[in-house]
Amino acid sequence: MENIYYPRQAKLKNIKEETPTIKTYQFELDKKLKFKAGQFMQLTVPGVGEAPFTPSSAPGEVKKMEITIMKTGKVTDKLHNEVKLGDTLALRGPFGKGYPMDKFEGKEVLIVGGGVGLAPLRALIYALFDRIEKIKKIHICYGARSPVDQCFKDEYGKWEKKKKVSVDLVIDKPHCDWKGKVGLVTCLLEKDYLSRSGVDIKNAYAVSCGPEIMLKFVTFKLLDVGFKPEQIYLSMNRRMSCGVGKCARCNIGPYYLCKDGPDMCYADIKDYPNVFG
Amino acid sequence: MNIYFLSESKLKNLMEILLEYGKVFAAREADIPSNKNSESRIFLGELDGNLIDDYHVPGFRAFDSFKSFVLPARSKVADYPDEKWIDIKEEKNKKVLVGLRACDLASFSILDKVFLEDKDYVDPFYKNRRESLILVSSDCTYSKDSCFCNLLGNYPYPAKAFDINLSKIDGGYLVESGSDVGDNILKKLSLPDAKENQIVKRDKNREKVVRNLEKQNKDFVKAFSKLEYLSSKTFDSDDGWDLGSTCVSCSACTNVCPVCYCFTLFDREGNRKERYERYMVWDSCQFKGFSQMAGGMNPRFSQIAQFKNRYYHKFFRFNERYNVYKCTGCGRCIDNCLGGIDMREVLSGAYNFARVK
Repeated sequence: MENIYYPRQAKLKNIKEETPTIKTYQFELDKKLKFKAGQFMQLTVPGVGEAPFTPSSAPGEVKKMEITIMKTGKVTDKLHNEVKLGDTLALRGPFGKGYPMDKFEGKEVLIVGGGVGLAPLRALIYALFDRIEKIKKIHICYGARSPVDQCFKDEYGKWEKKKKVSVDLVIDKPHCDWKGKVGLVTCLLEKDYLSRSGVDIKNAYAVSCGPEIMLKFVTFKLLDVGFKPEQIYLSMNRRMSCGVGKCARCNIGPYYLCKDGPDMCYADIKDYPNVFG
Repeated sequence: MNIYFLSESKLKNLMEILLEYGKVFAAREADIPSNKNSESRIFLGELDGNLIDDYHVPGFRAFDSFKSFVLPARSKVADYPDEKWIDIKEEKNKKVLVGLRACDLASFSILDKVFLEDKDYVDPFYKNRRESLILVSSDCTYSKDSCFCNLLGNYPYPAKAFDINLSKIDGGYLVESGSDVGDNILKKLSLPDAKENQIVKRDKNREKVVRNLEKQNKDFVKAFSKLEYLSSKTFDSDDGWDLGSTCVSCSACTNVCPVCYCFTLFDREGNRKERYERYMVWDSCQFKGFSQMAGGMNPRFSQIAQFKNRYYHKFFRFNERYNVYKCTGCGRCIDNCLGGIDMREVLSGAYNFARVK
């Protein structure tokens, strides 16, 4: 009988500093692992604890996996402060359902990320690139606090050069190194802005990941400009412990985000209490 | 199903046979010397060979639930890195539980839905513990003010899910088997068949307790028969939940509850170099930190949101997922609440508000 709580060893092969508080960790697994974009892993810092993270690298059957992590709590503090290259950590998963890739076929995908929320979306972006012939367009909107806080800075240029892909960036406050747009990520979702970018709202899905307060206002803005609840997918990466739908803390209504999500269709959750806390 | 008669004096023989199967844990009455006026209290404890002489099966549920036999308050679930902990071997040692009530049996079938019958993830530790149990249940010969099993469609006597059931009557017990294990145990006792008048007597006892429950809970029947009134809207608003204001978030209710199973995993360093241990420990949705994230966001920030969550889980979302309410009506949460909160009154309050609206 398989022990669902047992973490498998994973060796830390590379650490890349994205921002002063966000790092991307590359792990080598003891055997190949199949994961879908949006599915998450439980990362164990031995003796300290586990926390859920969605890999940020391209999905598929992989031996190496990247996870982009912000320093915020007990496990992530230890990870940022003490864990070194070559250390052995442990992983459990993948868990959850992931993004509904089939639904995106023949559609435009509007990706709305905020802060470290771009990490799970990066896996989705690579998954979409992988089947770009089946996707109509990919619009990437990303908001960060400042240019210093942007994840995957060296990749935006490469993404933008691809056919059918647009990238829009915004930062919260004016900054001496920033010549682009200033404001919250929702300002990229204004109706005239979307139509200038050529987004065909009727034939699009929106996928968003970021702090819940951002998800809330992104959702309201999307509804405002004409998206239906069925067209909105939110990555609700809340606190989880077991990852297998048992410990009962990550629910929205009858759904467990760990087992039924963490990427939920807004239409499925909108009528339940505390959707955005 | 055959019904047999077991005289009071022969109960010891049954216990001796049960001891051959494994350790026996029983609900038993313990006198509290300092507490002259009160009735004796019923606790769970191991029943070894020395205690079986004086043992009799109590007529009511134990103070503690039997939950910890399948979900201990703390249990090790991984020792890492260590290959042998990836796969868990099946447990061979049996444990016999004696004195379960219908509500206790119902609690196991509710927990099974989560830990055993989930088609994606079976908890191997739960499965081992659950399958190693032999369940000897018993009728309630009386009910207490806090009992409300009847409101959830249950009865104060077991009808299924036991290996052996004992119904107290004058001079002994009527005995039924509910499984092959039960059949084998009873075979060893070669008991006489129950007489017709004994069965009539048993049914009269059962009827009496049912009537009593109906009488004491009559004011709550409406709220419980209309649990579908508790829509998500009812839970979205704080109106109608005033009784939760005396809750002090102590988690007594979730600890004594036979079906509150929420847990957390915690890791620590093991006693060998570079070896670590993972434990599953009881958690409680009544604690503020239950769903709080490292960044500070908490989907259930207020005390009343945490309070409502327990009801929401029991009477709405568990039913949406598993088609059964996550409550057996045992009343332990009512007996143990520091804030004097009665689950029946809380639900009636929510119902009245939803209905008036």
